[in-house]
Amino acid sequence: MTTPTLKIENLTLGFKTWSGTAKVLHGISLHIKKGERVALVGESGSGKSVTARIVLGMLQQLKSARITGSVEFEGVNLETLKPASRHALRGTRMSMIFQDPTSSLNPVYPIFTQFKEVLERAQPGITNEKARERAISALADVAINEPDRVLDSYAFQLSGGMNQRVMIAMALANNPALLLADEPGTALDVTVQAQTLKLMSALVEKHHTSVLFISHNLGVVREFADRVYVIYKGNIVEQGPTGQLFDDPKHPYTRALLSAVPRITGGGIPDLDDDPSGFTAPLATHDGYSERELLA
Amino acid sequence: MKKTLVILTRNPLSLIGLILVGLVVLSAVFADFITPFPEHVGAVVDFSNFNKPPQWPNIFGTDLVGRDLFTRVVYAYRISLILGIVVLAIAVPVGVAIGLAAGYLGGWTEYLLMRITDVFLSIPPLVLAMSVMGLLEPTLTNGMIAVTVMWWPWYTRLVYNLARSEREEGYVLAAEVIGASKLHIMFREILPNCVPSILTKMTLDFGFVILIASSLSFLGLGVQPPTPDLGSMVAEGAKYLPDSWWLTVFPGLAILIAVFGFNLIGDALREILGVDQ
Repeated sequence: MTTPTLKIENLTLGFKTWSGTAKVLHGISLHIKKGERVALVGESGSGKSVTARIVLGMLQQLKSARITGSVEFEGVNLETLKPASRHALRGTRMSMIFQDPTSSLNPVYPIFTQFKEVLERAQPGITNEKARERAISALADVAINEPDRVLDSYAFQLSGGMNQRVMIAMALANNPALLLADEPGTALDVTVQAQTLKLMSALVEKHHTSVLFISHNLGVVREFADRVYVIYKGNIVEQGPTGQLFDDPKHPYTRALLSAVPRITGGGIPDLDDDPSGFTAPLATHDGYSERELLA
Repeated sequence: MKKTLVILTRNPLSLIGLILVGLVVLSAVFADFITPFPEHVGAVVDFSNFNKPPQWPNIFGTDLVGRDLFTRVVYAYRISLILGIVVLAIAVPVGVAIGLAAGYLGGWTEYLLMRITDVFLSIPPLVLAMSVMGLLEPTLTNGMIAVTVMWWPWYTRLVYNLARSEREEGYVLAAEVIGASKLHIMFREILPNCVPSILTKMTLDFGFVILIASSLSFLGLGVQPPTPDLGSMVAEGAKYLPDSWWLTVFPGLAILIAVFGFNLIGDALREILGVDQ
């Protein structure tokens, strides 16, 4: 058994406020093996994005955040790392893709300048020619037809789909071990979203990158992920392989979530059970897919 | 930059602004060649020609000791421009750096820096400049210091607010994620997005700096004689109104032209760069 790329154990997060601590995560455990694509699914405010921020080490800087539990990246506990070596991981060994690609690119610099900055993270002092060469091949990988023109353009001159592909190319440029995708494509229309996700899927397979895919879009998750964790109010409520989880949801919350997906054949939004008491039922795992069994 | 210049010349108002500012700057730079009596800048006395109304070769008339007023107005422009450039060259970087730090870093840094800024902003600008001048000797250098001291907090305020909103932008988060340093984010990510606003304010301010400096010397706290200064010329001439009107009107018009020109350009820049405040 090789060490998983990312292993989160019993992670809790609270925010200290004037009136006590607001608990956000109640001890979640998940892991991603090398080259695996794992989805974290849940509604808004369920704790998906903060999990990604903790992995990147960006919430730890916040004075009001109270974090317990362990986050291991390639077998190293991130809490024991010095800030400097932890900082060195960002942008090189782990990177992130965001929801809104256009605002994630600085409007005052052409794409190339920003691409070079990303490459410089892994290779300080890279020359312009070398950076350009690598940027062009990275953009060609995400099916951008005129990489030269795109590199000299500004983010606002490109379409949302192109920007997202640029972001994907940048995120994978340094060959990270882990890619955190925080609702990529939510800001894009459905067809473009499908295209970019397909590209991303092919690319992470090629690079053997592990992906933590954060989304509320179940259709996308079903297409993209190998395994799924369902998160509800800071608790993992169900976990299992994608196919099984979608065909045979075991947890009441997952069932409610799945029935809320609009269907082309159905008659609009279904009536949801008004009684969410079942949603807090304990974790449901599919056979052979509990944390203990998978990490054994 | 070139495109901005082209657009500036299209709008009639900004074109007027450009022409006025161009005239002011050119006359200040080439003062030695366009003025008929360059030696009249200093302590020269020519009582045979004193207090003459506008006539050839003294097109603005002469002052109370017989010096050519046109010469002195043009040289005063030179001093006003130098003062404006020096004041902005110090006040803008200082104000911008403090504003960026307060806006992006937040927390205690923000409290401390912004409260200090508020203290400076709460004192009426002219009173602050006057008290600084009162403490120091009235010279050109000290005049610059006085105006600079009252000027930087406005830039801090402006940039602080801009940085506060830019901090929430996606590209700042993206930069943090790939591990960019705080300095990099402040100066290379956020600052370039504030430049249009800063540039617009600088152009608008240039006129006001000249005006404030003139006000200071009008009150006798600025540049001292015999160095020509528009404000002190107006102050001196005001005693002899309305008979020797040229002593006041021409230096006053000179201030008006400079301030008006810079304001027109500033307004036009604001529109072109899409700054709305």
